[in-house]
Amino acid sequence: MMKRLYSAVVDGKGFDILLVGLPLLFLITFSGLPLLYNVLMSFQEVDIFSLGSLIRPFVGLDNYRALLAQPEFWPIMWNTVIFVVCSIFGQFTLGFALALFFDAGFRGASFLRGLFLVSWVMPGLVVGAIWNWILSGDFGVLNYILRATGLISENIFWRSDTDFSLWAVIIANIWLGTAFNMILLSVGLAGIPKDLYEASELDGANVWQRFLTITIPMMRSTIGAVISLGLIFTLQQFDLFAAITSGGPANSSNVAQYWAWELSFRQYDFAKGATISTIMIITVMIAALLYVRSTRHEVRG
Amino acid sequence: MKRLHILGRSVAAFTLLTSSAFAQDVTISVWSLDKETQPAYNLAKEFNDLDNGIKVDYRIVQFDDVVTEAMRAFATGQAPDIIAVDNPEHALFASRGAFLDLTDRIAASDVIDPDNYFPGPLNSVTWDGKYFGVPKATNTIALYYNVDKFKEAGLDPDNPPKTWDELVETARTLNAPEKNVYGIAFSAKASEEGTFQFLPWVQMTGGNYDKVNGEGAVRALETWKTILDEGLASPDTLTRGQWDSTGTFNSGNAAMVISGPWELNRMVEEADFEWRVALLPVPEEGAERASAMGDFNWAIFANTDHPDEAFHALEYFASQDDRLFPDFGQLPARSDIELPPTGNAPKDAALQVFLEQLKYAQPRGPHPEWPKVSKAIQDAIQLSLTGQKSTQEALDDAQARIDAALN
Repeated sequence: MMKRLYSAVVDGKGFDILLVGLPLLFLITFSGLPLLYNVLMSFQEVDIFSLGSLIRPFVGLDNYRALLAQPEFWPIMWNTVIFVVCSIFGQFTLGFALALFFDAGFRGASFLRGLFLVSWVMPGLVVGAIWNWILSGDFGVLNYILRATGLISENIFWRSDTDFSLWAVIIANIWLGTAFNMILLSVGLAGIPKDLYEASELDGANVWQRFLTITIPMMRSTIGAVISLGLIFTLQQFDLFAAITSGGPANSSNVAQYWAWELSFRQYDFAKGATISTIMIITVMIAALLYVRSTRHEVRG
Repeated sequence: MKRLHILGRSVAAFTLLTSSAFAQDVTISVWSLDKETQPAYNLAKEFNDLDNGIKVDYRIVQFDDVVTEAMRAFATGQAPDIIAVDNPEHALFASRGAFLDLTDRIAASDVIDPDNYFPGPLNSVTWDGKYFGVPKATNTIALYYNVDKFKEAGLDPDNPPKTWDELVETARTLNAPEKNVYGIAFSAKASEEGTFQFLPWVQMTGGNYDKVNGEGAVRALETWKTILDEGLASPDTLTRGQWDSTGTFNSGNAAMVISGPWELNRMVEEADFEWRVALLPVPEEGAERASAMGDFNWAIFANTDHPDEAFHALEYFASQDDRLFPDFGQLPARSDIELPPTGNAPKDAALQVFLEQLKYAQPRGPHPEWPKVSKAIQDAIQLSLTGQKSTQEALDDAQARIDAALN
């Protein structure tokens, strides 16, 4: 009896159901329900003291309207777009360049590539604290280097100048994400069969042509995945804002994810915090969809 | 030390006498931000050692998490019996009936007497004329200045700036960009710290949190703007908290700094120059004084099962207030406690100034919508100082948001 049950679980349909069921249960409990709860909260009037109850006054789209009416809404959304686009662009280009560089396979290449991962391994708050010192206005390392090389004559107050504060976080974020991009792209590059390059070289294609006609097409799915993941990680980036600018001065470096936290946990306006999160969830879901689609058509040589 | 022992013993005797009222060991939970070297942690432990039938279960809560943790716990019925909460947040809980009304218990208490407390801290535990807590400790801000730099610049260190105009003028004289020295340091950060530093300036002119766009308030923010626009303070003032700002003073990169008594021990250690403390400058000679009022209050949650035992613990904490300064470097929120000299001359002199300044300390609020009020003030400070809005316009906007929050 026990044996039959055991074998049913291990070999039969039971095992399949178990395999699908467990992760599904996990996803529903730890991702699905909180997600739905967050969406629900964005349609309710939430008060710090009703935080524990599920039934709260339903206010329809009031939270969304109130949020849109705040003068800082569009500037912050625009900041988010700039932050995401520029961070991904920087991380991807640098990451791709490094991946190609190490793909040349010189002596010690893989060792050096491993070293680059240090930035990815470090906790965000530590990275933030270090960049905080580097970008500091009066005694920052970056200002010192820029002054020493004659690029600037007066200190730039990276964290406190409204023209630079967002860029301060973007620079730190590019540094943080480049290594991860590089590793994923390196894996993609390694998957391209070398005979393709040899054949095209025999046909007289130059480096640039080989890059455009072999590397890029063969890497399509990897690039799609890297950029989608970049979008998700960038939209999740919170530590750097907390450590470097706190979204300031005057919201000049504030982005959606930091604002959501500020509203919820600084002003205790949990409904509005949830509303921003809901808007972001929709964005991330679109990105996730793109990611899933790009990995579905995986091309492997 | 001997005096302390006797006091400790008498308190122990007192608690032993009253402990017969409690039949079985009762456990009460206490949440506070105090760590191993700070008062609540040690007082809770000592209270346990009294073995009076009440056990205290102590938990450290991080500064940033106090309010959210407490709310979550209260909403789910898991609230502790006693909590230490930042004074501007007190009204938030008191007004919603989350804290126990202690008025009658305090009236009947032999240990806690409202008359012994400074009016500011007492005001912060008061809501609707009733006491919803007991001040835990207090602090305020004043002007630290570098005596060596005063002398170098030909200024009289016995005559520190007394008015805003003098403050700006002194900062101009002391400012020396070629030597990496700013005239003054303070914090205009977009957080509670910014409000903490700015509100006293408004209060000196007769304004307050509910009236921030008066003529005096505009002049106050204009004064800050002058300081930043002329480069008399680091532009990083906008994003730097008080601790980091004071760090630049300690290292000799700012000649003055506006900060509180929590810096005294670090300054004694770090600053290799002579420093003193002066009262916060006022708008003009003879104007009303004001300063900030910081630190936490004790409160008992309304849904506690053991209100008497919890209040008993608060009485014990309050009975040890005279140790706050000698043992932990914190200022008791009371006027009836004399602080013994530490033997460090600059520190003792500074302490007298802070005690004087405490008389003018005014609470932030109290108002249950404090976080929104404070945010409006922070935004006005930042919008004005970064030049994105005129000072008048920024403060008018803040006033509109405050009016909406208060009504």
